[in-house]
Amino acid sequence: MNVLEVKQLTKKFGDFIAVDNITMSVKEGEIFGFLGANGAGKSTAINMIASLLRVTKGEIEVLGKNIAKHGKFAKMNIGIVPQEMAIYEDMTTYENVYFFAGLYGLRGAELKERVIEALAFVGLGDKHKSYPKNFSGGMKRRLNIACAIAHRPKLLIMDEPTVGIDPQSRNYILGSVKKLNEMGCTIIYTSHYMEEVEEICTRIAIIDHGKIIAEGTKGQLKAIITNQKNIGIEVRSAENLDRSKLAGIAGVNQVKVEDRIIKITSDSEINNLNRIIQQLMADDIEIRSVEEHEPSLETVFLTLTGRSLRD
Amino acid sequence: MNIFRIALKEIRVIRDPKMLLFLLVSPLLIMLILGTATTNAFNGSLTVGEINVLYKNTSTSSELSKYWDDFTGQMRQAGIHLEGAIDNTDGKLKVKNNLYTGYVEITDSGLMYYANSQSLIESDIAQSVFTAFTDRYRLAAEVSETDSKQADAIMAGYGGAGYVVEESLNAARKPGAMDYFAIAMTTMFILYSAMTAADLIDGERKRKTAVRLLAAPVTKMEIFIGKIAGLVMVNAILIFVVVLTSKYMFNAYWGENLGLVFLVLITEILFAVSLGLGFSYVLKGNAAGTVVMIIIQLAAFLGGSYYPVEDATGILATIASLSPLQWSNAALLEMIYADSFTAAANAMLLNIGFSVVLLGIAITMMRRREGL
Repeated sequence: MNVLEVKQLTKKFGDFIAVDNITMSVKEGEIFGFLGANGAGKSTAINMIASLLRVTKGEIEVLGKNIAKHGKFAKMNIGIVPQEMAIYEDMTTYENVYFFAGLYGLRGAELKERVIEALAFVGLGDKHKSYPKNFSGGMKRRLNIACAIAHRPKLLIMDEPTVGIDPQSRNYILGSVKKLNEMGCTIIYTSHYMEEVEEICTRIAIIDHGKIIAEGTKGQLKAIITNQKNIGIEVRSAENLDRSKLAGIAGVNQVKVEDRIIKITSDSEINNLNRIIQQLMADDIEIRSVEEHEPSLETVFLTLTGRSLRD
Repeated sequence: MNIFRIALKEIRVIRDPKMLLFLLVSPLLIMLILGTATTNAFNGSLTVGEINVLYKNTSTSSELSKYWDDFTGQMRQAGIHLEGAIDNTDGKLKVKNNLYTGYVEITDSGLMYYANSQSLIESDIAQSVFTAFTDRYRLAAEVSETDSKQADAIMAGYGGAGYVVEESLNAARKPGAMDYFAIAMTTMFILYSAMTAADLIDGERKRKTAVRLLAAPVTKMEIFIGKIAGLVMVNAILIFVVVLTSKYMFNAYWGENLGLVFLVLITEILFAVSLGLGFSYVLKGNAAGTVVMIIIQLAAFLGGSYYPVEDATGILATIASLSPLQWSNAALLEMIYADSFTAAANAMLLNIGFSVVLLGIAITMMRRREGL
């Protein structure tokens, strides 16, 4: 069953087309990765799904019901974790979750129970009376999530939920996302961290210039660029590296140096590894190890959009 | 129900000590300072100095001279000293030099009075009694043609009222400094709620909580009404405390009909909230707050928050009448001190009318917008 169905969705701001005729669906139980560089149209699309923006053209169905006709039903079944913290700093964590969950029709003992449950879920069970203004970035992010899940939405939209937080909090949040998914919540997840998307998403759509340019599982997306391979060479020092000579070798498309790792993207059909090693030896570079990888999602994204996810 | 929840959330602002200090302590403190410091300026009693009038009688009428002599005797008893001038005295110069309250020349053609502009009140009193004397003399002259005894009685005051009659031009009670500033500060601080209102919806946008509110099954109108209701309630509670504190701690007089006073104040709160909200939709960014602050300052200055403007004349009076504080202050003063409910009704209608217009603008613009 599709939890979300988007048909020919378009959004215009004056003459500018932010979202251009996109069609996609999210199945029940999925963690759906929505990737796009800044300004690609990803947030606009998400905001239309969450009823935060009006639709210029097209249809959105949540649990089989058109949100234009059944807006309240859709809202009752959607939870949103905005990229920026959407919490009241002058209210306690408990009051924040209580207030937002209360807007979803929860009352009395059930409301209190859900609030306690949501706060415990994000690891803020012992912070009921604390004010978020005294929280770390990670704790605020977790409260941001608690406010979105207390009403137990069927579809949770998470827009960059791990931006600007420490690795420990990030791991906690990623763990929470997986756990929520296991509990039956379908999730749309956007992130600038490709490794997160690769780790948790079951299906991914890539949006660029308002259009969905690729959609599928990680394997399906990587298969799009089977003609490429990644070579990682660890060296003692890359000081003497002549990049232009390396890039001039037949089949080499891109050369990057990160610390003491030389990352090369090359055509998979051309066997040029020996030639690359010879060139490095000619530059008097001591090689420690050589690895050949399948293309990563980052490579897929770069190949399809021509820019990095963090651009 | 969601309107109630949103309104209730707004009331939580009372927990903020800074906000509470501003909304509760500030008006009370300022009314205490101004009410105490300007007590004398609001004192209703007036000390009248000595009234010494110089006169020169060159009339050939023996009757008039006789009546005039009687009149000077009566005036002495009333505290007005009439002193005859010697022939070569320049009475006008003496008055000009502030040696006398006035100068009277009695001739056959009538009585001429020269007033001292430096002692206006005393001069006015003297002028009044001279006018009364001449009126009476004219009457006596007419009567004397048929009945001379009756004419004497008129001049002696037996047949008519005395020359000096005590009359009150004002109502029995006038506002003292504390009474006045209790009203003026309360209405002024109500208008300051326009600042909070200017940030009411914009604050949700800045905090990004607008996203969460709009994503919830709540309509824009429910959010809008809930937030307005909350802010009006917060201010109503605070103003209730301010009025009662000023009444029972500072003995400020709020009249016999406190319910109606609160009704006028609540309509002013509604107006202030609508003013802030209206401008927050018309002007973008921080401009709304700045413009609202300027409006509040001008309204306070012209509306009598720092000094009474009821006696203002000319262009100042015209400009002052545009101040929303002037409507409310004048209405409350008239209602409290003259039992004029019409003034209160007019002020309430003005407050509600402008609120409807401003809220209408805000709602129209909100509906057109994406988001709140």
